[in-house]
Amino acid sequence: MKKEKKHIILLTPLFTYFTFFFFAPMFVLFIYSFWLKTSTGLVPTFTLHNYLYIFSNKLYPITILRSIRIGFITAIICVIISYPVAYSLTFKYKKLQDLVLYLILISLFSSYLVRVYAWKTILGSNGIINQILKYIGVIEQPLTFLLFSPTAIIITLVFILTPFTILPIFSSLQNISVDLIEAANDLGANKFKTFYKITLPLSMPGVITGFIFSFTISTGDYVTPQLVGGTEGLMIGRIIQDQFGMTYNWPFGSALAYFMIFLLIFLINCFIWITSILKLKRKF
Amino acid sequence: MTGTMPENKSAFVLNEICKNFGVVTAVKNFSLDVKDGEFISLLGPSGCGKTTLLRILAGFETPDSGEVLLDGKSILPLPAFKRPMNMVFQRYALFPHMTVYENIAFSQFLKKKPREETQEKVEKMLSLVQLEGFEQRKPDQLSGGQCQRIALARALINEPRVLLLDEPLGALDLKIRKQMQIELKNIQEKLKITFIYVTHDQEEALVMSDRIVLMKQGEIMQVDTPKRIYNHPNSRFAATFIGESNVLEGEVAHIHDDYLAINVDGLQFFAQRTAEVKEGDKIFLAIRLEKVNRKDKKTTRSFDNQFQGKIEDVVFFGSSVKYYIRISENVTIISEETIVEEESDRGEEKNIGDTVAIGFAKKDVNVFLE
Repeated sequence: MKKEKKHIILLTPLFTYFTFFFFAPMFVLFIYSFWLKTSTGLVPTFTLHNYLYIFSNKLYPITILRSIRIGFITAIICVIISYPVAYSLTFKYKKLQDLVLYLILISLFSSYLVRVYAWKTILGSNGIINQILKYIGVIEQPLTFLLFSPTAIIITLVFILTPFTILPIFSSLQNISVDLIEAANDLGANKFKTFYKITLPLSMPGVITGFIFSFTISTGDYVTPQLVGGTEGLMIGRIIQDQFGMTYNWPFGSALAYFMIFLLIFLINCFIWITSILKLKRKF
Repeated sequence: MTGTMPENKSAFVLNEICKNFGVVTAVKNFSLDVKDGEFISLLGPSGCGKTTLLRILAGFETPDSGEVLLDGKSILPLPAFKRPMNMVFQRYALFPHMTVYENIAFSQFLKKKPREETQEKVEKMLSLVQLEGFEQRKPDQLSGGQCQRIALARALINEPRVLLLDEPLGALDLKIRKQMQIELKNIQEKLKITFIYVTHDQEEALVMSDRIVLMKQGEIMQVDTPKRIYNHPNSRFAATFIGESNVLEGEVAHIHDDYLAINVDGLQFFAQRTAEVKEGDKIFLAIRLEKVNRKDKKTTRSFDNQFQGKIEDVVFFGSSVKYYIRISENVTIISEETIVEEESDRGEEKNIGDTVAIGFAKKDVNVFLE
């Protein structure tokens, strides 16, 4: 078993890192979610009080629903934009593949925070969008919903997350052998039928991955909403952050966090189930 | 098909097809008449253009010039999905996300055929390829041979006029390949569909084809039945690509009425006059290995060509044995014979170093100018 021992040794640094900086903290938080916060401090116990507290105030469910709504819309827009790009890169503009992948990489070079600030400028009353619209005469007064609103959050997150949604979709499209497309054509499928029956189902795993990626990140984001979200853009990430900040209610924060985790897992599975229903609808 | 089909009906006419990829000429002036129900093999080494030609017929490539006529009408303006031909791919190309049933039924589904009719047809196809009961399996649960048979069923269910096969047995083990060759031939004879079969395996082509189209570097070298192309290759390439030959280089010594005398390394060979030559021309001779007879005590027959030589090597092939016999300083002839009786039983073992006499007829010596 020497080979296996070598593998274990090589994986140890990674496992150690993950254990200390991921699994252990996650586990600690999970324990906290069953504790109580009192005026004297944290009381280790086992209670579902924190989870139930989520429903005690209208604020929390509303914020959760808003976060999911914003996250979902962002993810859907990301996927809808990414798919045609990934598709044309794979099947039509093959020579551009390297260039686009480099561009996606380059977008990583600038800090996330700086880009959100940039969007704050672009979307503002004196930002470039309003300036152009004013200049060509479409509007008189600047559009105010562009900034400090859920719309601003969606726009900003879409632009930040789309490059990364392109990657898994692109990868799964690449894995479709040209043989399969030709076989479909040969058997009588025109371009649309081939896409709907062969290409799309085979690329679904990539689409789902891209969706999961953009959905989870945007639902839980707490930086972008703070900068461009305004008062209507309060998302659950901010509330969780406060529990570990000013409010000092770690049990409740942990409960919120884990509630969101389970909720997202549930919703993602619903999404996957829906996509498989759509594919199998026409059984022949 | 009802009534009697006239024997020489041309289903398929290919005319002067040319295809270039940049500076590379893939296919050059390819013309062929294919009869209905014929099994035609496109045979040649890698890069000879046979796959390109097949893809042109399927609709995946457009020729630079030339015509393809089916029953007199050009099919070139038709896109691949409208053509009445189907293809069996080298690597099967089965849809991995569909079951065997869905794969086979795909073409019927596209034509919006009713459920019951499709089900019947799929079952018929599965029994044709001897895979009944496999409907619900997925491609990743099948072996190579099974995948190939499903790919065949998927193409045949459409009842195409012409079936195009692109080295379909290339990825299979030898034993299964040989079995599939017979099966494919039987299916073709049963269904009477025209098969156009691309392969680089000359044995496969000999076994299965009604006619072989031998190709080299985009051009047709010879078109003939397996028997004729084997016994009367028209070029050195044909003589060496199909089967094995002894190839010798010599000079025309004398031209007689119906045969030629050729000098090879000081020896005289006699061949039939199948090429236009003058005395003194450089010429190539090809003699099939099995046509070289080893004369032993029992051989009373005399041959047009007879030589004495020394056995340099003996190679055992199971059912046959090859003798490498040197008859002059620069000439070694290989003789292949089927083992009928163990020679050691007859007390006539031939070993390396023994002297032996060989002989072969003039008609078994093919000559070529290049």
